[in-house]
Amino acid sequence: MEIEIMENIDDLIKKIQPYFSELSVGDFMSSPVVTIQENQTVLYAKELMRSWRISGLPVVDDEGRLKGIISIEDIVHALENGTLESSISEKMSKNVVFLFKYDKIMDAFKKFEMYGYGRFPVIDEVDHHVIGIVTKQDLMLALLKKLSVLYVHDARREEFVGVDIYRSVPKNVKIERTEFEFQIDYKDISLSGTGASELKRFLISKNFSPKFVKRIAIATYEAETNVVIHSNSTGRIKAYVEPEFVEVRVNDNGKGIENIEMAMRDGYSTAPDYVREYGFGAGMGLSNMKKCADRMIILSSKGNGVFVEMHFWRHEDEN
Amino acid sequence: MKIEALKELGFEMIVEEKGEIFHGYACDLLSEVMGRAKPDTVWFTVQSHINIIAVAVITGIRAIVLCNGHDYDEGTIERSKKEGISLFKTELNTFEAIKKLCNVMQDEIQG
Ligand SMILES: Nc1ncnc2c1ncn2[C@@H]1O[C@H](COP(=O)(O)OP(=O)(O)O)[C@@H](O)[C@H]1O
Ligand SMILES: [Mg+2]
Repeated sequence: MEIEIMENIDDLIKKIQPYFSELSVGDFMSSPVVTIQENQTVLYAKELMRSWRISGLPVVDDEGRLKGIISIEDIVHALENGTLESSISEKMSKNVVFLFKYDKIMDAFKKFEMYGYGRFPVIDEVDHHVIGIVTKQDLMLALLKKLSVLYVHDARREEFVGVDIYRSVPKNVKIERTEFEFQIDYKDISLSGTGASELKRFLISKNFSPKFVKRIAIATYEAETNVVIHSNSTGRIKAYVEPEFVEVRVNDNGKGIENIEMAMRDGYSTAPDYVREYGFGAGMGLSNMKKCADRMIILSSKGNGVFVEMHFWRHEDEN
Repeated sequence: MKIEALKELGFEMIVEEKGEIFHGYACDLLSEVMGRAKPDTVWFTVQSHINIIAVAVITGIRAIVLCNGHDYDEGTIERSKKEGISLFKTELNTFEAIKKLCNVMQDEIQG
């Protein structure tokens, strides 16, 4: 049984390989990347990793060229041996395996498999400057996107110098304590929007500003409406709340979206005529969600429902 | 302008709630309204079903003028009372209704 599954995966990879073979490392690496200079202390590396919530740092010389890599394990060793004040260059791994920007996705795959490391720095072919980093998660996301199973929108990309910090947010903000939950009734179209209205009330009661709440409510309304008019299945809205941040997840177990890239286009809609008469089906729902959310992830494939996760950070003018 | 001033323009009042409006918006596609309507808006539409109340609540629309002589569903009226949204109706089409508003309230109401 086990072997059969393995063969199927090999088959699958072979089948889809031509589809994404043109993707190169530069297309999906995280960039810019947080690095550390070789003459800094291990203690400083520890602080950097903590504040950026990352588990490994490329080490560079004062020209920005790759010299090594220091990982959380090196830090743990230094802690045990009382050598936090040592310089990075003493404690880092010097035989660092790296990728080039123009390496193909399969090269990255092979390296992950061969070395078992969690991340590889990406360096420039010519001057060996560190220009990015690739984690297993980056690789997986790239594949899913390519297959149009995943859509990621990130409005905060430009605002941040160190991309890794907000990348790490979804990993760290687990919905452990769901503070708002709503069951979507897809059978009654007239109830569509009830969940979003309730979420709005809930957030206002938590003293969030009307402007911030409106953004969240609009996006939630659109996701909720989509479950009602498209999924043909029940769904659920969940929200997680922090002082400056709200995460909303909306999911259903319905028919799913075959090609998310296409569904994202303004005006694209498969809504049946009878719901269009009610003013639904303008094909603007997903783009409204994208406009409102600072970060949005949609995961779906045909027959497997839709999972939407949206992140909202309170903006400065949303007091 | 005050919401009740809409009555004086000849729109029939179905549900009265107090308040002020500063903007107007006209569209029948709910997602467009969702994405664009400002708070404290009077919304001109031909949609009369209950979902328009959810749209109003979420965007901050305060009053709805239903055009072309359509009638509100019973559920819509009930919900609007609960949510504090004013409802009006008129025999005029959307363009004519807005023209009427603008003739009288030109400077008091913006897009
Ligand atoms: N939950 C869902 N289940 C199935 N299909 C969906 C779902 N959400 C969105 N879609 C697909 O994506 C398309 C675009 O969605 P959207 O932008 O909200 O426009 P609209 O809802 O007006 O059609 C829909 O027409 C539908 O084909
Ligand atoms: Mg929609």
